[in-house]
Amino acid sequence: MIRIESLTVQFGGVRPLDALEGEFKAPICGLIGPNGAGKTTLLNVLSGFVRPVKGTTYLDGVALTGLSPARRTALGLRRTFQQEQVVDELTADENVQAIADHICPNRHDAHNEVKSALSFIGLAGRANVLGRQLNLFERRLIEIGKTLVGRPKAILLDEPGAGLNDSETDKLRSLLKEIPGRFGAQLVLIDHDADLIASLCIETMVLDFGKLLAFGPTRTVLDAPIVRQAYLGTG
Amino acid sequence: MTELGKTGAYPVAVGTSLGGALFIPRNVAIVVVVSAVTALIALTAGGFWLSNFTQAYCIVLALLGCALLYGQLGLVSLCQWALVGAGGWVALRVYHSFHPPFVVTILAGGVGASVIGMLWGLPALRMRGLYLALVTLMLAGAFQVLISVTSFPVGGPGFLGQVGMSGNDRVMMARPIFASSDTAYFLFVGFMVMLAIFLVETHRRSKPGRAWALIRKNEQMAMASGVHIVFYKAWAFALSGFLAGVAGALMAGLFGQLDDSAFAPTDSITIFIGTLLGGTGVWLGPFLGGILTRFIPALLIDYNVNSYVGLLFFGMALTHALTQAPEGLGGQLTALAERLYEKFKRRRTS
Amino acid sequence: MNLLPFVASGIGLGGIYALASVGLVILYRASGTLNFAFGAFGALSAFLAWDLSNNGGVPPPIAWLFGIAASTGLAYAYGRIVAPRMAHRDRVVRAVATLGLALIILGALAWYYGVGIARRIPLPTDRDFIVLFGVRISATRLVALGIALLMAVGVGLLLSRTRIGLAMRALASDRKISATIGIQVTRIDSFAWLVNGAFAGIAGILLANLNRLDPPFLTFLVIPAIASAILGRLSSLPGAFIGGMAAGMIEAVLTGVPEVSHFRSAGPYVAALLFLTVVGTGQGVGARE
Repeated sequence: MIRIESLTVQFGGVRPLDALEGEFKAPICGLIGPNGAGKTTLLNVLSGFVRPVKGTTYLDGVALTGLSPARRTALGLRRTFQQEQVVDELTADENVQAIADHICPNRHDAHNEVKSALSFIGLAGRANVLGRQLNLFERRLIEIGKTLVGRPKAILLDEPGAGLNDSETDKLRSLLKEIPGRFGAQLVLIDHDADLIASLCIETMVLDFGKLLAFGPTRTVLDAPIVRQAYLGTG
Repeated sequence: MTELGKTGAYPVAVGTSLGGALFIPRNVAIVVVVSAVTALIALTAGGFWLSNFTQAYCIVLALLGCALLYGQLGLVSLCQWALVGAGGWVALRVYHSFHPPFVVTILAGGVGASVIGMLWGLPALRMRGLYLALVTLMLAGAFQVLISVTSFPVGGPGFLGQVGMSGNDRVMMARPIFASSDTAYFLFVGFMVMLAIFLVETHRRSKPGRAWALIRKNEQMAMASGVHIVFYKAWAFALSGFLAGVAGALMAGLFGQLDDSAFAPTDSITIFIGTLLGGTGVWLGPFLGGILTRFIPALLIDYNVNSYVGLLFFGMALTHALTQAPEGLGGQLTALAERLYEKFKRRRTS
Repeated sequence: MNLLPFVASGIGLGGIYALASVGLVILYRASGTLNFAFGAFGALSAFLAWDLSNNGGVPPPIAWLFGIAASTGLAYAYGRIVAPRMAHRDRVVRAVATLGLALIILGALAWYYGVGIARRIPLPTDRDFIVLFGVRISATRLVALGIALLMAVGVGLLLSRTRIGLAMRALASDRKISATIGIQVTRIDSFAWLVNGAFAGIAGILLANLNRLDPPFLTFLVIPAIASAILGRLSSLPGAFIGGMAAGMIEAVLTGVPEVSHFRSAGPYVAALLFLTVVGTGQGVGARE
């Protein structure tokens, strides 16, 4: 459960986020908005890379203010990045193991969690393949696999489907759908694919110019004229 | 970040074999290659060449540390040879004060340089890229000036252990009994090199290596993966410094004393160049790079050629490495071995 | 303890360091490359000038011009031919490439001219001096300072008053955007290299006069020059100039303090180190390189 209170971020004269309020309660939530709306900035604040000038964020009731990114990860926060961050020189297994090293309490747990994460994403057979030899879909899957180790509570996904074709996006969709049930983690999903958002997310937050435009059940939000205006109006 | 050390367009990845899952276990390859080369040198080299190859092996140790920082973390250190000098100083100081078993002296040199390296490294931990390189260069410069004033301990009184102008009472550091002859000492150093390679490889294949890989890819992503950035960077500096310090102690043992003029900033620059020439992707890189870095100048001395010609060679080799062979000599040989193995495998199954 | 004579001698060295520092910073700001071959360029210029006037019978001023032209030409050629091929690599790689060039030049010069031989380039102003505050200041030192000042001011005017200067400043600010608005990146880069080579050529001759004509010694000028440039945060010209003067002064003054005179060459390094650790690089963890 992620809660955002009066969140404001300021860089010089620009306000990427302005007095944002909201609470993500559903198992899978969407976060959409035109380019530059502040979606990735919100994720960066939640991750701890950007400090807000005002406001607080909470993960399951725990205030995240002042906590280091590593500490937030220990509390159960996970994220993926817009550009996948798979290390070329490590194998698929090692890429996931690298995060398990620091999150799981002991080596035995770590090993098991890595195995189950890899088999969940369907890459158990590719465990020993080097990162540089994995294709884009596999790399995106690894990104997701990394978030699944160590009892995640909330997983922030920044455009997990970028660059994937239709069948890959379908596979991704069915995978993401299972995560809350299998791993007990909430998903917050940024994506530009309205179909993906509509089919997965129960509630969705819409940002525009750093401000909250709409928040509610996904279908309602996507149909709202103010949201359509924002997308069509600003291209 | 930096992309030196990545392979070119080879179909098979470098870094897993020459002892990876492909044909022989990596550990076996390390033992076999290092032993074979060491044995060959021990059997054929005498006097001048034996001393040079022993120095070459010390350079290998320094390169292992430099390659660790650069290959694993993309950090350029231009003060590695200064740390070798620092380690040598500590080793000599400990030797003259306590005459402990030789292994203790070596460890002291390693730990000493490691601590100094970390002290230097800590302010630099927040720096990256060119600034880090420049800071380390400045440190190397400052070290040279410092050591030219304090000199290396030679058994005299006081903290600095100097004996003044007479030179009569200079005490040389003694080699261990089990490695007192030149050949025996060389074999001993060769064994140290093998241990060092295993030490580094163990790091690379386990938790710290993975953490370093994450840090190098993207520090923010590493933080979000729970990695304590400062800790792991410090660890890399510490290990790199330790290897340099051991090299310094072994050099002190080789010559009995160390010369202050032998630790100039340009020597540290040479170490970094050697790192690039050998390559950082595979353990073979520092091993070959170290031998080459000493071999060429020694060859020039042997043939009475101006040693600065060696610089000409290094400059050209460096330019070549930067433009054509970013994976270095070690990487190229490894990739070659892999390709040959692939061909061999294909022929056998076809 | 009268330090004034040392301050006076520091003027010359400071001028040279200032010249070198400004030359380095101009190139670094425009192209993002730190030229480790700066000293080598200077050595090339000095040796050519010396060889021509000593053995070739060429009148010294012409010989110096040839020397400076050689270093300028070589730098321009590098900037025109090699640097564009490296333009997409990161800063450390590009700097290391210039290191390769430095080694090649140093190796060639050391081989051809030998090392450790006592040589100097004499300048006509060596015998003249003025007396200021009871201290003798040799004319050459004043000339060095004067040239450094002139060239720094000249280049400053170039940057602020000319079109090419504007283009260089744009490039320094943002390469990608500059390219998209039509600034000919390669041309500007080559020009920056040319300026760098010219500065190096002059600095090399001056140092070969003030100190000695020796390939490694001149080549390693680049190290205190970098320290000076760091004192100027690798970005501002006045800062680089002051950094160079400061570095030269510190080194010279330390010579006069008996307790630490041995450490005088460390002066620039320690100053740069302190500067970097205390003031910082102005970059921070997330900064663009």
